[in-house]
Amino acid sequence: MLERIADWRFRRRLAALGKSGQELLRAYAGANWPALELPLREAALLALDFELDGLARDAHVLQAGWLAFDTGGIALDGAMSLDIRSARRLDDGAVTVHGIGEERAREGQPLRQVLEPLVSALSGRVLVAHGAAIEVEVIERTTRACFGEALPVRAICTLELERRLHPNLVGSEAYRLAAVRARYNLPAYDQHDALSDALAAAELLLAQARRLPADARLGSVLRG
Amino acid sequence: MASELSEIRSFLGDLSPFGRLDADRIAAIARRVTVRYFRAGDTILEAGSHNDLLFIVRSGSVELRLAGEELTMRLGRGGSFAFPSLLRGGEVRNTTTALEDTLVYCLPGEEFHRLRSECDAVRDYFNESETERIRSAVRDLRLKRPSTLQHATIEQLLVHKQPVSCEPGLSIADAATLMSERDVSTLAICEDGRLVGIFTDKDLRKRVVAARTDFDRPIREVMTAAPRTLPRHATAAEAMALMAAGGFRHIPVLGSAGELVAILSATDILAYLGDSAIDTGMLVAKAAGPQALVAAARQIPEGFARMDAGGFHAEHTMRFTSALGEAVHRRAAELAEAELGPPPVPYALLVFGSLARGEQLVGSDQDNGIVMDDRVDESGREYFAALGARISDLLDECGFVYCKGGIMAKNAEQRLTRSEWSERYGRWIANPDEDRILRATIYFDMRAVYGDAAMAQALHEDVVDKARGSGLFLSFLARDAQRSKVPLGFFRNLVLEKSEDGKKVFDAKAQAILPVIDIARTFALAEGLPAVGTIERLEALAAAGRMARGDAESLKDAFLLVSELRISHQAAQVRAGTAPDNAIAPAALSPLERDYLKDAFSVISGGLDSLKRNLAGGIA
Repeated sequence: MLERIADWRFRRRLAALGKSGQELLRAYAGANWPALELPLREAALLALDFELDGLARDAHVLQAGWLAFDTGGIALDGAMSLDIRSARRLDDGAVTVHGIGEERAREGQPLRQVLEPLVSALSGRVLVAHGAAIEVEVIERTTRACFGEALPVRAICTLELERRLHPNLVGSEAYRLAAVRARYNLPAYDQHDALSDALAAAELLLAQARRLPADARLGSVLRG
Repeated sequence: MASELSEIRSFLGDLSPFGRLDADRIAAIARRVTVRYFRAGDTILEAGSHNDLLFIVRSGSVELRLAGEELTMRLGRGGSFAFPSLLRGGEVRNTTTALEDTLVYCLPGEEFHRLRSECDAVRDYFNESETERIRSAVRDLRLKRPSTLQHATIEQLLVHKQPVSCEPGLSIADAATLMSERDVSTLAICEDGRLVGIFTDKDLRKRVVAARTDFDRPIREVMTAAPRTLPRHATAAEAMALMAAGGFRHIPVLGSAGELVAILSATDILAYLGDSAIDTGMLVAKAAGPQALVAAARQIPEGFARMDAGGFHAEHTMRFTSALGEAVHRRAAELAEAELGPPPVPYALLVFGSLARGEQLVGSDQDNGIVMDDRVDESGREYFAALGARISDLLDECGFVYCKGGIMAKNAEQRLTRSEWSERYGRWIANPDEDRILRATIYFDMRAVYGDAAMAQALHEDVVDKARGSGLFLSFLARDAQRSKVPLGFFRNLVLEKSEDGKKVFDAKAQAILPVIDIARTFALAEGLPAVGTIERLEALAAAGRMARGDAESLKDAFLLVSELRISHQAAQVRAGTAPDNAIAPAALSPLERDYLKDAFSVISGGLDSLKRNLAGGIA
């Protein structure tokens, strides 16, 4: 089973991380990581979204927004939204999309200072995002750059989950976040603010989880 | 971080009562929210359970059933529920079920209680009873009403001529002579062009005559030295506050160089505010001829707009405007008589509808008729035909345009003898049919504005007496009232129609005011109450025990609330120079006003239901 192989790979990477010289990473490795058999409704989750300055592989991270939740509800008191310092000239197209100008990007915090609380928040939690591949890739790339180790991440991709729940919709438009949310009667949100997008994905997972069997296992919804 | 949780904050900020809180407070509340999702059919809260959360519907809709049985309420986006359980310590009485897939925001009970204790608006809003909410709405509107006083500067109020002044060395006797010659009650005492004191009629009484001061003493010794002054650009509100605080009625007004510009009196403020209505009334009553009457009547809309801006309550604005309308009708009849000679037999000029109820706003057409003494002969009828035509024409020129339905004295069927009127009402009452009732209801709001009041009164008593005993007629009235489409939907949302320019509007008159009038009229006629005004009728019904006191009060509040909105709307149109109408766009109201409006509609719906239950069933 792919599920098993992915988990074996994740655990092996955690074990390696446990030997890291950095306290932050060792704590991450030693967190209470649930078994695949845990019911989804009991799993600790973290919705995360990054706003990037472009679509290139080396795109800079401008903003990170995250919130911890579970499928029973999303408490907003721990919601985080942080701007990240970037000295690079911003891709004009990306600036238009999320409105984070160069000035604001320069005023943000250094990437490392944003990653540290994020790594702690993600400890023992499953990342949730719509199109989670991007968030996972960015975490691996930036943690490798900052800490010398790529952080192993478990994730639920609401887009992938939607393709399983509604497999026969025509065109990729139908699977975009706004369209999917509308199908579940979720309100229209302004996108391209990291925390709003994270909240949008978290709410979507609440809705999707209500369409899964009540005892659905965590392992059955993790991205492959 | 400006953008943090912006979705939640902007949603709460647009929602009453949270919209009344400042941005920081809303941001803090947003952080305390927990978001939950329910599928259609899911039970959100069960009757009998314990609850510690305030629920706000973010998307979707829910249904509340008392003890899981009787439907209490349906709520859509923006609706809050479960707060009654928080108010009573957690005990849940309604089972709440999601009707659609629903996203809700939950706020901890302690946060809810803290908000209530911090903010009156929140406390008033989360009240168990709709009635209470409407009452606080009426209060709220009145407080919020931008008052003319806040905006008018003293300069705009000054209608008086140049202030009369003298030197401080002038004798009291000469100063008094000066005041008397120039016909002023206040004298400014200036030295080298600068104000040093004022002297008023009251000072003359107290400090001179009563104190037996020698009239040859200089005025300096008895003036009020260094009086409080205001700059010319101060507002009327500041002037009033200063007068109230200082206990005086005159304030010298200074120009930018400190020179005396005028003396503002309390009368100037009063005249600007409301007395334009009284002034207009005087002009109407004294109008020497048709042209003068038309000129005076044309001022009514402006006076109406000013009463609104001056913060007058709806009932007062309606009463004033009706009083002026009545004065115009009366004067029109007098002028017509003056042209045609004295009437051959006694008669009265009757008005119907809003003017009769004392609830007139601006832009109403005329609804009137003439009742003649039974002894009138053919030539007498010709006289009244000419009189009726003259009155209607004059009124039309005065802005009370011809009635599209022909209810006016220039039409023969509106000029009847006392007996003929009685028979006409008798036919309506004995043989009601839907079409007739539709056109006849306003006849049951009747009053004489000129002529033989006793004759009109006797007719009215006769009509009330006939109507009271006729179950069939009353059932027609009750069913007719149900035609009003109260724009409140299934989910307590406003169900609106699009106006010509595509805006979503509701008709404040047809969809809110007329139903209340119908409810009050029908119940009052059923009870044989002679009252004509809607509020009078509701009060009389409550006093007679025919309507529960609370229901009568709620209907009255709903009526006043919509009237205030309607008056503001029309006053704005008058100020903008457009023709007043009743199409109010809820988008133009604040979220709180919209919410209060929903309460008003729900009270009106309840009243119509009660009318149906009690009176509509008279037909086999």
